[in-house]
Formats: sequence, structure tokens, C-alpha cells
Amino acid sequence: MTQQLIDAITEMREDDALKLTNELLDNGASPSEILGACKDAMDVIGKRFEDGEAFIPELMLAGEMMNAITGVLKPRMAEEATREKLGKIVLGTVQGDIHDIAKDIVGFMLDLNGFKVTDLGVDVPPEKFVETVKETGAKIVGLSGFLTLAFDPMKDTVAALKTAGLDDVKIMIGGGQIDENIRQYTGADAYGKDAMAAVSIAKGWAGT
Amino acid sequence: MADKFEPSPEYVARAKRLQDAIELKQPDRIPIALGFGLFLADYGGITRQELYDSPEKALEILEEVTMKYQPDASSGLRATPEPSKLLGDCMTKWPGFGLGPQGSFQFDEHEFMKAEDYDTFLNDPSDFAIRSYLPRAFKELEGLAKLPSLGMSLFGYYSLSNTTALLDPQVVTAFEALTKAAQATVTFNKQMATSTQRMTALGFPGLWFRAGALIEAPFDYMSDTLRGMRGIFLDMMRIPEKLLEAEQRVLKIQVDYAIAFSQTTGLKGAFIPLHRGSDGFMSLAQFEKFYWPQLKDMLCQLVDAGITPFVYYEGVWDQRLEYLTELPKGKTIGEFQDSAIFKVKEVVGDTMCILGGMPIPLLKNGTPEEIRKRTKEVCERVGKGGGFIMTSSVMELEGIKPENIQAWVDATKEFGVY
Repeated sequence: MTQQLIDAITEMREDDALKLTNELLDNGASPSEILGACKDAMDVIGKRFEDGEAFIPELMLAGEMMNAITGVLKPRMAEEATREKLGKIVLGTVQGDIHDIAKDIVGFMLDLNGFKVTDLGVDVPPEKFVETVKETGAKIVGLSGFLTLAFDPMKDTVAALKTAGLDDVKIMIGGGQIDENIRQYTGADAYGKDAMAAVSIAKGWAGT
Repeated sequence: MADKFEPSPEYVARAKRLQDAIELKQPDRIPIALGFGLFLADYGGITRQELYDSPEKALEILEEVTMKYQPDASSGLRATPEPSKLLGDCMTKWPGFGLGPQGSFQFDEHEFMKAEDYDTFLNDPSDFAIRSYLPRAFKELEGLAKLPSLGMSLFGYYSLSNTTALLDPQVVTAFEALTKAAQATVTFNKQMATSTQRMTALGFPGLWFRAGALIEAPFDYMSDTLRGMRGIFLDMMRIPEKLLEAEQRVLKIQVDYAIAFSQTTGLKGAFIPLHRGSDGFMSLAQFEKFYWPQLKDMLCQLVDAGITPFVYYEGVWDQRLEYLTELPKGKTIGEFQDSAIFKVKEVVGDTMCILGGMPIPLLKNGTPEEIRKRTKEVCERVGKGGGFIMTSSVMELEGIKPENIQAWVDATKEFGVY
């Protein structure tokens, strides 16, 4: 029946996915088995997204299904099954910019691909990035920004991380207008055009 | 004075250059339009908040930079935060209103309309707008929720007892706030009119081709100010039929509005910035179902009514340029942000006048030599045969170095001669 659950999720049948989750539990399946099926389903959706076969609406609905299923499983789980993580990433939209949509999608895809993401939200000052990187020991930072106005705060954040002696931390940037010109301008290590690019950059740095 | 004013030969030459391009003809030279926006604050050495707060100063700086760069069309600020401040607007942030003095205008999406509101919305969009939506979206308009059903006005004499609602202190507050917002808008419109007069006197047209009713693709209209992006994309998956019906409703509302606006003001345009239809958000199949047919229908209805829609294709449209060739030839104008501009020319060059060509990142970080090189290439390839107006990718120049703008304008005038 786990295959049926995988199919329901990948075919975007939201009601069936929840129904099957409950049936699986009633039939004695363990929460970790069900989480495994969810992971397999999300891998399929992630691949489709990467291949340009699935888009944001599918990602949003998949996210909703994951939240609903996790909600059902939580009370039954003795302790959170901790997945092995590829690495820690600190993510946020830079100071002065309040756009969160692209950042959220990047965070979702990074999490899906095995990274532990600390999302600082929007309008994040450089010192907050520095502080969080120190606290978490993250080796990767993702800076998001949609506005032309975001270029300078990005540059300042990169500089603040360097000044704080965090030279081994890799920094990637992304957002509506970001390109190689802006990467150079800000001093970031890489830029990504979309969420999958962010995943592939991060995986490259994590050595996987 | 305005009545007796005769435009200078320079003004006439510039306006003709722009008009020829819009009509897909070849002018004497490629026109360049500069939307200075918040660059005016940078250049004038004042904060962005001060720029919004001091229209006279803003106009003086606009005159100065326009004389310096001598573009074919020029504009400064095109909006004011005052009505938003007075109404407690929850969806926009401005320098000095939700942002620091050096902030840049931003749109803050919320789900002001919930998924469960569709039936109420479809039943009576106007009643939903006044009694449910405005109280949620503007803090000072909360009182409007206390008004009786708007449809009850149809009951004539028998509904007069409902007028007592107008004395509720919260309702009174709401109407007072709306009156103040209206006054602030009138003040701003007067400032804009003064600006246009003074710029005309100096010999420079404004961006008249993008003046007119501000409306949106029906999908974006449902998304931006009502459901938010998360909400709308879930609606596509969960309740597609309701979303499609709602789009039909707002399509008609907007077409009627744009036509009435054109008749009242005499303006022959409509400005339509596009958001969620660009590459990457939805699949082509979804685009064909939820986005394009409604947008195309709207544009065609406007064209039939004698309006020339100015469409801003935000983001990247590389995968869907072919659709644009379905639009009536020479009857719409398209500004392109990050689409591959040479491909745009190839595909839609004989369908619409194209604006764009100078990416903001290059203007921000490039050297004058790099900017000159790009300008030459754009002039040669996108300017070919006419139907092109050079602009930056976002019609805004905040944070750009003055010498880079100079290099760009000079190169356009050099390489843009036909």
C-alpha cells in the first residue's frame, strides 16, 4: 500500500494521500515507513521540477500534503526520526527586501534534498546572518533578494561574513535579477537562477 | 499658460521618434526612455523618503537629470505613499511607511481573500470588495464591515432605515479616511500635471504610452491583491473551476473600468504589468488554461475599444513568446524585463513595439565600455527596422552610477541612428 501512497502524492490526489496514510496506520504501518514513502514521492516530484515537468503549483500542493501527513504522524512518533543531513544552510532575504516566495521555494527544495535549513526570514541584517552562522556552524549561506536595492545589502552581508572571519563559509545568491555581474559585485561564491540550481550548488559544496 | 503652450521643435522631434517606434515604423534614431525613479534621491543627495515627501525638490532633480542626459522620454516618481499611509494599507511598504527612509517600494502579498471566500466573491464581487476585502486590507477601513449588504440598496425607500449604519463611529472613520486619501491623490495628480507641464516646457515627453488605467491579467488580479501566490497556486490544483469563473468576473470588471477610464481621461492606453504567467511559475498546459486565454481576451477587447495596452512582461517569457504573436499586430506595446531580447525581436518584432534591452545588473556593475558594447549590439539587433524603444529592464535606475547612464545614453544616440 505504500506504493499507492507514493502514487497518490505524485499524482496530486490530496484526499487519497491522507486517506491512505490513515489506512496504512490502521493496518500497522510504522510512521517511519510512511515517511519513507513520502520521501520517495517527493524525490519523484523534485525530479519532475528539475526536468521542467512540474512547477510551483505542484510543489505547493506537495508541501501541503507533506504538512498534513506529518501532522497525522506526529502524535504517533516516539521521537522525531532524524534523517542524516547533508549539511547546514543559513538562508534569508537580505536587509531592506521583504520578498519571501522565491526564498521559501529554495528552502523547501534544499530541505527536501537533505539539508538542514535555518530560514531567517526577510529583511535580515548582515549581523544576523553572521550571528546565526556562528551559532549553527553552517558552512553554506543563501542570500535572496528580488529588488535592485538588494544588491548592496548582499554585498554588505558577504563582507560582514568575511570580516567576521568566516572565510570557509560558501555564499550563494539568487533572486529575480541576479546574474554573474551581480555575483561579482557582491563577492558571493555562486549565484543560482532557480531552486534546483541552489540545490546543485549546495550539493557541490557539500561534496555529494 | 498651459493652453497657449506650443511644444518646442525638440519636443515634437522626440515625441515623433517615440510614436514612430510604437507604430512599428523606423524613426530617425532609436528613442531612449529613462524612468529615473529612486535614482533621483541618489543623485540629489536626499533620502528616498525625502524624495517622496518633497515633490518640488523631486521635480527640480528630475529637470536637472533630464537636461543632463537628454533622453527622448523621461519620468521620475509615478506613485505616492500618502493614500496608503492614510488608509493603513497592509499590502504596500514605502520609505517611511513600513520601511526605513532609504527603503524601496515593495508589495507585500497576503491572503486577503481565503479559499472559502470564493462563493461569496462570485455571488457579488462588489459587496465582497466593500464589506469583506477592504476591511481586511486597510486598517482604517475596518468599519466598512459594519455596512449592511450593498444589494439591499435595490430596495429603495424600504432600505433607507439601513442608513443608520453610516453613523457608526468606525464607519465614520472609514469614510473620513477615504476622503483624505482622495484628497491626497488629487494633490499628487496635480503635482504630476505640473511635472508634465514643466518637462514639456523643457522639451521632454513623459512616458505617455504607459499612462492609462492600471489593470492586470485576470490571473494576476486574483493572485496579487486577493489570494496571494500560495493561495492562487493551490486554487489551481484544488478548485480550478472556481478560479476560472472568478477570472471571468474580474476580466469584465477590468475591461469596463479601463474603457470608462479612457473615456473620462482621454488617455488611450492601459498599463498591464504581468507577474505569475512568466516562465518557471506554471507549466505551459496550466498557462494555456489559467493565464493566456483570459489575458489575450482582455487585451483584444481593449484594442477593439481603441486602447493601446502597454504590457510589461516581467521576468522571463522565453518559453512562451510564440503566444504573443496571436495579439493584433501593432496594437499593443511590450516591455520586456529579462527575456532573451534578441529572440523577442525575432518572434514578436512585427507584432508589437518592444521596450527594454539594457539589463539593470549590467548598468549596476558593468564598466562604461561594457555598457557601450551591449548598447551597440541591442541597437543593431533589436533596433533593426524600427519598432524599438531603449529602456532599462525595470524602468527604474535606483543605485546606478551616473557615468554608466551617460555611457548608455551616448551609445544609444551613436549606434541608434538609422
